[in-house]
Amino acid sequence: MAAFFCLPLAAAPTFSHDIAPIVSQYCAPCHRPGEAGPFPLLTYRDVKSHATQIVDVTRRRFMPPWLPEPGYGEFKDERRLTAEQIQLIADWAAAGAPEGPPPEASSKDTPAPDFTEGWQLGPPDLILEAQRAYSMPASLPQGETDLYWNFIFTANIPAARWVRAIEIRPGDKRLVHHANLYVDRARSARAQEIAPGAGFPGMDPVIERSIYDPDDGAFLYWKPGGIPYSEPDGMAWRLDPGSDLVLNAHMQPSGKPEQVRPSIGLYFTDKPRQRFPMLLQLEHDGALNIPPGVRDFLVSDDFKLPMDVYVLAVYPHAHNLGHVLEAYATPPAEWNAPGGRKWLIRIPNWDRNWESVYRYENPVFLPKDTVISMRFHYDNSAANPRNPHDPPQRVRAGNKVSDEMGHLWLQVLPAGPRDRRLELEEAALRHKLEKYPKDARSHLHLGAIRLARMDAQGALAEFNTAVIFEPGNAEARNMAGSALASLGRVSDAMDQFRLALKLRPDYQNARYNLARALIKAGKSGEAVELFRQVVAAFPNDAQSHNGLGEVLFKQGKFDEARAEFDRAIAIDPAFDLAKKNRALALARAGKP
Amino acid sequence: MMAGMLCVLLCHTVAAAPTGAEGVLDLAGRARDPFARPAHVRVFIFLRADCPITNRYAPELTRIQHVFESQDIEFWLVYPDPQVTAQQIRSHLVQYGFPGQPLRDPQHELVKRAHAVTAPEAAVFDAAGTLVYHGRIDDLWVDAGRARPMARTHDLEDAIEDTLTGRAVRQPETRAVGCSLADVK
Repeated sequence: MAAFFCLPLAAAPTFSHDIAPIVSQYCAPCHRPGEAGPFPLLTYRDVKSHATQIVDVTRRRFMPPWLPEPGYGEFKDERRLTAEQIQLIADWAAAGAPEGPPPEASSKDTPAPDFTEGWQLGPPDLILEAQRAYSMPASLPQGETDLYWNFIFTANIPAARWVRAIEIRPGDKRLVHHANLYVDRARSARAQEIAPGAGFPGMDPVIERSIYDPDDGAFLYWKPGGIPYSEPDGMAWRLDPGSDLVLNAHMQPSGKPEQVRPSIGLYFTDKPRQRFPMLLQLEHDGALNIPPGVRDFLVSDDFKLPMDVYVLAVYPHAHNLGHVLEAYATPPAEWNAPGGRKWLIRIPNWDRNWESVYRYENPVFLPKDTVISMRFHYDNSAANPRNPHDPPQRVRAGNKVSDEMGHLWLQVLPAGPRDRRLELEEAALRHKLEKYPKDARSHLHLGAIRLARMDAQGALAEFNTAVIFEPGNAEARNMAGSALASLGRVSDAMDQFRLALKLRPDYQNARYNLARALIKAGKSGEAVELFRQVVAAFPNDAQSHNGLGEVLFKQGKFDEARAEFDRAIAIDPAFDLAKKNRALALARAGKP
Repeated sequence: MMAGMLCVLLCHTVAAAPTGAEGVLDLAGRARDPFARPAHVRVFIFLRADCPITNRYAPELTRIQHVFESQDIEFWLVYPDPQVTAQQIRSHLVQYGFPGQPLRDPQHELVKRAHAVTAPEAAVFDAAGTLVYHGRIDDLWVDAGRARPMARTHDLEDAIEDTLTGRAVRQPETRAVGCSLADVK
């Protein structure tokens, strides 16, 4: 640094020598045709014609877009100019933005970046396209600055695959600000579509997670610039046949009507998942209740880690009023961390438009009993130009843009080779219940984990608690039934399954469970009827066909049973149980 | 210095006369004087086709034009970038539907006369050809990249209204947010 200021006054910076390398590295990846930037910055003329604007947006650090403060976490692909670079740009513009002679060829020259056209990771193994384009209007109604639309894709694959990378092509990068992708195994989002294949609106879509389905543990998203992410070795995630993928796209109007039709490229691997990361969430939306005019409203959450972990990535999320977002980790005293605190991220000037997942340059090790803290500050005053209400109004947590939210997501990888997600999930649920003791869903979830750990009695207690807080919850009844069945209390189990079906007549899983219980109770006739109903609802579900086959087998209808096992095997060629059943049915059918 | 100032004053006086804006052209390349025909109010919108903020104002400008449709108002769309071609302008207009008659202003004559510095920027002239307003269309944009959820002031609309009714424009000068016109000289 000292050397820089001791140099004699040099000639004014020129585009060719000084500015082109900066622009080509930090601006051109987005500011080129087909990418997110609204105008190109590739040639001297391009840059000169926007010189004043470039000086302004770089000085304010609006561009390149990078929210985290340096020194509070080290992230991959940091896109941030130094103070010297910003000054150089300003000096160049002040000198009249000269082009200058082209630089002499030398080994020190940075070659122009080589932009890959088309799919950045090469031809995908599978391409999914949105069924219908979304028609973006030229402008939005008064008071709305942007629009969130959810596109649904179905993974029409014959068998489960391990996904090592995805590339999201938003359809029009100038219009789509960023997009998050969610795996919807239960296909719950379809019910929200405005018309089949047309998608649905909403900033934070609610994706029903089946209680038994552990989180995939991966952040799936698109943001402008950069190359699509490939999961590290051994961390591919599973995509099942018939699962939906929901793309939540954040869009802004351009001033003319536009069509947006995203597509997704999937890249598979044969190597199954061997490391098991999890997405951990810190939040306290229940306390998010911001009176009008308050300049600094704090939302906090603290979570103590039950095991050693590595933090791989962080995703802070808030809406318009979010201002300063902070996350840090306090290791236990014996670790003697300097200052007692390890910063995970600090965003001093939150901008919802540029929200992003940030991946750590190196995984951050946090030992057991480290407390992770989230501190999000909100500004609900009239001085906040992003306040959606004028005059300011009380704002609570919610899914609409004009509501507020405070989520700190962390991708954590438990240390060691084992899959420790259940333990971590359980700790997270207990913490959640400390904040929201009457949350039926958390009780359900905790019960499911208990069940997975063979603690049916403990699971039952949680399911019964869930029912107390939410008597109309069919899933609680269904799961209570499962717990009872595994405790051998078949009659009680059937009562619960029937209650679940009464609450939700199309609850196929409960129907299936009831059928199995009926078999146990020796009532195979009723069971057959129930299984037929399940198979009719889910003709592509191998388990259901196998189940029906088993009941028919018990009734001595071996040929019919074999036909069902055949169907099960056709759907899932790796279904060993169905194959064994089929062999048995064949053998029995052969007997006179 | 004094001589310079004198020149500026004289030049300014000349430019303020209702006739003569010679470097201003229509899309066919013919000289066109937007002050030639009498009009109660003249509105100029300075545009850059490569400016995203400019483009996002197309629907709002169309709305404003509708508001004053039956009045004696002329809307002009001025493209000061000497590099932009007539074909590009036509394409731009078709895509975005900006209201008004297009003009090319490669020598920035209208730009200077209207004291415009940004795209999009609006300028309103009264029947005598006097500049009564120049600046933003509304206060939607705080800076490049930050928009309010809703504009609180509608400066162009107010300026037109004031001028039509013979009132002094309440705020004759405001700062527009967008892309620099000096960068395309």
